[in-house]
Amino acid sequence: MLVQYATAVAAVVLVSIHLLMQGVVTPYATAISYGNILSIYRNGIYAVFLELLLVVVLVHGFNGVRIILHEWKQSAPWSSWVDAGTVIAIVASVGYGTRTLILAVFGG
Amino acid sequence: MKSTESGREENSRGVRGWLNPYHYNLERWAYVFQRVTGVAILLYVLGHLGDTSFFVGGPTGAGPSESSWKFISGIVENSFGHLILVLVALVVFFHGMNGIRLILAELGIGIRKPSAIEYPYEPKSLRSFQRYLVWVAIAVAIAAAACAWLILFG
Repeated sequence: MLVQYATAVAAVVLVSIHLLMQGVVTPYATAISYGNILSIYRNGIYAVFLELLLVVVLVHGFNGVRIILHEWKQSAPWSSWVDAGTVIAIVASVGYGTRTLILAVFGG
Repeated sequence: MKSTESGREENSRGVRGWLNPYHYNLERWAYVFQRVTGVAILLYVLGHLGDTSFFVGGPTGAGPSESSWKFISGIVENSFGHLILVLVALVVFFHGMNGIRLILAELGIGIRKPSAIEYPYEPKSLRSFQRYLVWVAIAVAIAAAACAWLILFG
């Protein structure tokens, strides 16, 4: 649960910033335009921020599902599969998101 | 709380009991919704990762591509997609505010001294501040969804 609480506090801050940047600080229609997104991806600080947001939210989410599944059934094989599945899911989704980020910053 | 002249009638509500919100207390519903919204948000985030990856051409892309971005914008930037985003705002803000309430509970903030266990078993430890926070979470969620509506449809 400690992981949940730690990532939760971080997520509240990071998600709030993300929502403010996407809808309030920049008007929504401009925020989702191609040119705007390209420029913010290529802003070093914002790219790091997005990567951090990605990791925190996905760890919190998949760990949450892991907690739900552990509460549902308790057996040695089930526990091993749930833990392994959680790690795989986190690595796969963080990997895919990071790929998007890297391609946006360095690709093309 | 209802009195139990005939204990058997009170307990045999069956499936109808599931539909009665008074069957469980507010904290129990908050627990249910915390989990349900959590899974819903996770699914949304995975979808969001998918659609934003079209900025670089999708799973098979190689770099920023305006045509690919226009393609996905055509699919998700419409009234239905925006409605989904309003629901996401509702769900995210409830999950977040209720989560803050849970962290405060874990730290003991808002929890009062327990009292003797007497019928109708209302926990004095969870009344007042912690109770208010559940309603605050619901109110913040509705307010956030209203803001999202104004931004996306206004």
